[in-house]
Amino acid sequence: MWMLLAIALPMLAGGALAAWRPKDRTARQNFVVGSACLTAACALAAVFTLRGEDPLVLLSMGEKLTIAFQVDGLSCIFAALVSVLWPLASLYAVEYMSREGSENRFFVFYLSSFGVTLGIAFSANVLTMYLFYELLTLATLPLVMHHMDGKARYAGRVYLTYSMCGAALGFIAMVLMIEHGAWFFQFGGSVTVTASKENTLRMAYILGFFGFGVKAAVFPGHKWLLRASVAPTPVTALLHAVAVVKAGVFAVARITWYGFGPDLLRGSWCQYLAMGAAVFTIVYASSKALRTKHLKRRLAWSTVSNLSYILLGIATLTTAGLIAGMVHMVVHAVLKITLFFGVGAVHYKLHRDFVPDVEGCGVLMPVVFGTFAVASLGLMGVPPLAGFASKWLLATAAVGMGEWIGYLGAAALIVSALLTALYLMEIVLLAFFPRQNRQLTVRVPKRARQDPCWRMTVPLTVLSAGSVVLGLGAGVLERTVSLLLGV
Amino acid sequence: MDRFLLFPVFFPMLAGLFAFQLGRWQEKARDMFVLSATAMELLLVLTIWTNPELSQASVAVEGFCALGIRFQAGGFHTLMALLTAAGWLAASVFCREYMVHVRKRNRFYFFWMLTLGATMGVFLSAELFTAFVFFEVMSFTSFVLVIQTEEYQALKAGETYLAVAVIGGLAALAGLFLLYGQLGTLDLDRMGAAAAAVEDRTLLWAGSLLVLVGFGAKAGAFPLHIWLPTAHPAAPAPASAVLSGIIIKTGVYGILVLSTTIFLYDGAWGLLLAAIGTVTMVLGAVLAVCSIDLKRTLACSSISQIGFILVGTAMVCLLGEHNALAVDGTILHILNHSLIKMVLFPLAGIIHLSTHSFDLNEIRGFGRGKPMLALLMGLPMLSLAGVPALNGYVSKTLLHESIVEYIPLAGEYDLLFSALEGLFLLSGGLTLAYMLKLFVCLFVEKNPLPQEVLDKKWRRRGEHYIAPASLGTIACYLLVMVRLGSEPNMTMDAVAAMTRGFLHGHAPDHPVDYFSPVNLEGAGISLAIGAVVYVLVVRLLLVRKKRYFDPIPPGLSLEYGLYRPLLDLLAKTAVVLATLVDRLLPRLLFQALPRWIGRIHQSGVECWEGAVRRLTGGRYAPQPSVEQAADDEHFAHYEDAPRRGGGFVQSLAFGLILTGLGMAFALLFILLYGIHV
Repeated sequence: MWMLLAIALPMLAGGALAAWRPKDRTARQNFVVGSACLTAACALAAVFTLRGEDPLVLLSMGEKLTIAFQVDGLSCIFAALVSVLWPLASLYAVEYMSREGSENRFFVFYLSSFGVTLGIAFSANVLTMYLFYELLTLATLPLVMHHMDGKARYAGRVYLTYSMCGAALGFIAMVLMIEHGAWFFQFGGSVTVTASKENTLRMAYILGFFGFGVKAAVFPGHKWLLRASVAPTPVTALLHAVAVVKAGVFAVARITWYGFGPDLLRGSWCQYLAMGAAVFTIVYASSKALRTKHLKRRLAWSTVSNLSYILLGIATLTTAGLIAGMVHMVVHAVLKITLFFGVGAVHYKLHRDFVPDVEGCGVLMPVVFGTFAVASLGLMGVPPLAGFASKWLLATAAVGMGEWIGYLGAAALIVSALLTALYLMEIVLLAFFPRQNRQLTVRVPKRARQDPCWRMTVPLTVLSAGSVVLGLGAGVLERTVSLLLGV
Repeated sequence: MDRFLLFPVFFPMLAGLFAFQLGRWQEKARDMFVLSATAMELLLVLTIWTNPELSQASVAVEGFCALGIRFQAGGFHTLMALLTAAGWLAASVFCREYMVHVRKRNRFYFFWMLTLGATMGVFLSAELFTAFVFFEVMSFTSFVLVIQTEEYQALKAGETYLAVAVIGGLAALAGLFLLYGQLGTLDLDRMGAAAAAVEDRTLLWAGSLLVLVGFGAKAGAFPLHIWLPTAHPAAPAPASAVLSGIIIKTGVYGILVLSTTIFLYDGAWGLLLAAIGTVTMVLGAVLAVCSIDLKRTLACSSISQIGFILVGTAMVCLLGEHNALAVDGTILHILNHSLIKMVLFPLAGIIHLSTHSFDLNEIRGFGRGKPMLALLMGLPMLSLAGVPALNGYVSKTLLHESIVEYIPLAGEYDLLFSALEGLFLLSGGLTLAYMLKLFVCLFVEKNPLPQEVLDKKWRRRGEHYIAPASLGTIACYLLVMVRLGSEPNMTMDAVAAMTRGFLHGHAPDHPVDYFSPVNLEGAGISLAIGAVVYVLVVRLLLVRKKRYFDPIPPGLSLEYGLYRPLLDLLAKTAVVLATLVDRLLPRLLFQALPRWIGRIHQSGVECWEGAVRRLTGGRYAPQPSVEQAADDEHFAHYEDAPRRGGGFVQSLAFGLILTGLGMAFALLFILLYGIHV
């Protein structure tokens, strides 16, 4: 019951907002934040009470095709992550969007995509997941195209094309999964493998990996994420660093570990192909990030790279790798959303979007850049902050495979960590230690030379403090994840 | 009770936080607080040193940073912790005098205390993982100390420091992955046994080499010494004192751990370290002789002394079971170098306070008429040069004797090690040469400027050039040095006996007679070489028109000549390769051919337009702005619609997508067809 409520509530709230069209901004803000909090409460209640129960079948079209929901370990992690971050992001969004126009339309879709994301998290079989996966594309498209100028329309077109085509590849995988008996997700794989069908299934897995991988921005389906960074910052921060892209990762984890199963794939050509794509994306995206001067796009490249860390962990096909990947999923979500919020705050107050422009801004906005620095250090993997523990787990899992591709993966992690240090430290150092020793005050009005109001600083502070706590308690996080996954 | 061990590590970090808040309100209170906190830290370490219950304590924090961390007191750990706490207290006392003219003191003290805690964490660590965690924290917090002044030179030096620290740290991390995968433990006590059980040592070597890169970079070993000569002069004097006296020893700590666990008594590892150590030792000394900057000379001297320590470590590995001399020499040289640099760097800061310069030509003759300053600086200089009856002589003698001991055992390498002995004596001589250069320049030579100009320029004159508190701490250090040097058998042997367990050293058969003719002879040769070098090279070659000059051309640096271009090239190649993979084929088909045709067409048009322009006069053409020159064409210009809408159409991704669509349709067809049948 809690599950259905959590999925339906934000959609209904979005519909209500569309019908209501409040004139009063405060009323809308309260409504948005309130319903986000309520939904999060429902989702968390579902996570705590319903874990491990039988799937709830909502609609049955014969034995094979059902729309069903359940709460298992993997959905717990994803749903809890999204539910904790969404209210905070809503708080930030209501402040940010007050200057961007068309707030009503924005929040209608912003709220509904919460429900759709929870639908992906709670889905009990591949058909349900596919349904919500497509819905997510549609629900977030208006958010990407929010400004409706040339760039936004173009980005929306790219996003739609990539997502639809990725889903087409995923569709093939889905059909083959259902044909081979994967009617419900089961840890360790649910398809029945016969020796003659092995290679067909592997082929289907690869199509599924790259198809669902489009949302996880794995090479070669990564470019929509870069284009989509024209969207307003709350969208880039929450959807393109957490919800949508993590839904892609989540889907890949589902078909790998709960659909086709690791035993079918282990040691075969398709494991090498999947890991190879992840390794390549890690290095390629990090080096592109270094050469990108637009702040949000730099972070978007960094997201592409970090998503492939998680895919690498999943594709090692060892339980240690899966745990490491999930730990990194949580850690990266918290860190990257903080980074995007910081960049968004700079845009909001100073209208600056490029790396050289933040020179000397650290003094003007101490909270924003303080939290940005903490999150940067975390993402770089400076011990004892959050990113270090997850990278350590990932690399030991990759090395633990004992194969050359595992060593290659660990090497890619190291190289990428170096590049991460370069592209993030450049921003932090410029902000706090300006090269020409000048304070950036030229052409910035006096009221802009300060931190934004509490609606922005509170999420920033809470999230960066949370990332520090995650880093210090990484051992607890790892144990929780492995307990939830039951391995 | 064992939990007490967490205090020295985490107390300074919390104190730093508190000091930061306090400093916003009251600067004086903060200074006093920092002083008392560092004094408290020293007390904590002394408690660990003296309390029998604590002296072998060990404590673990499970789950911290995924793998958990563990600390261990006793022997070498406690000695290094004591050096750290004492050094930090001395430097903090000096800070009160030196930092008055430096901006953003609050930030400085915050990171000052964080660095103290992190350094403690490294030295007290009971496993390599813990050491690495705190090593990284220390790298980043000490970076802020380096760039404290935020002047151009400091930022530049900080950049190099950070780059070396990050690259080194990541190399070490990669090495730790490999070692952990092979050994299953990073515990100092168990690594040796685990390594002995591994049959295929290739991966162990690979991992250890990577870890060596990481710790060697911090120690300042060749070829990653590049950060030292720039970072030390740029940092405020108290920070350079602890950088040189203590922080670079964390790198040595890591190398010592490797050499005495995985590579215990391993000859090949010893040879490698000997090679690195020799190059570092000679190169640092040569750089120091050539340098004309007071602090840079001291920094290069640090490189050279690290070379001595590395040679000692090499001998520890090479000599096998009978390495008593090498073990003692290595430990004592770490101790001595730390003591000496903790005196010399603050004194360099004192000179800077009065003269505002480190350039030898500017500060020449500053010490004339200041006999106390001459004594304060002269003693540690002579000690480092290895003059008998001072502490530096003792450790150098031990190191020298260990090399001499190994020559007959070296077999086919005996010529190499005779050469190593020669280079060792030469480096010792060069130490005397550059110290003499500094001393003569400061205390003997006259400044060419007239006295009145100098009086105006050097504001703090007479006896008031040093604050009493700083003088007191420096005097304490000097007393310790003299005491150690004058009765080495009672003091230094005791220190060595207490700490040599860490290096798996055995006690020597009989106490060393430091002042026997054989041992004095080595020092004599070395000092004679030094005197000759000073007269022949420094006086004749490095002084031109009565001014010192640096014969090394500025372009000849490893960093700017090799590392930076190489890194840049690597990054560019990676991007180009990756982009090629993505776009090569479709681009060739769809774009390159039309573009080549278009380019030929374009040049034709340009020729035509040029001709027309020459006939009719110029035309206004706007230049792209910074933002327009951004990385991506769709973000570069602010037109409403991008020029080429199909930017993604020509990529591999798009081809794949089309394939997917086609297959989906095919599948649909098959399904429908199947239903029909």
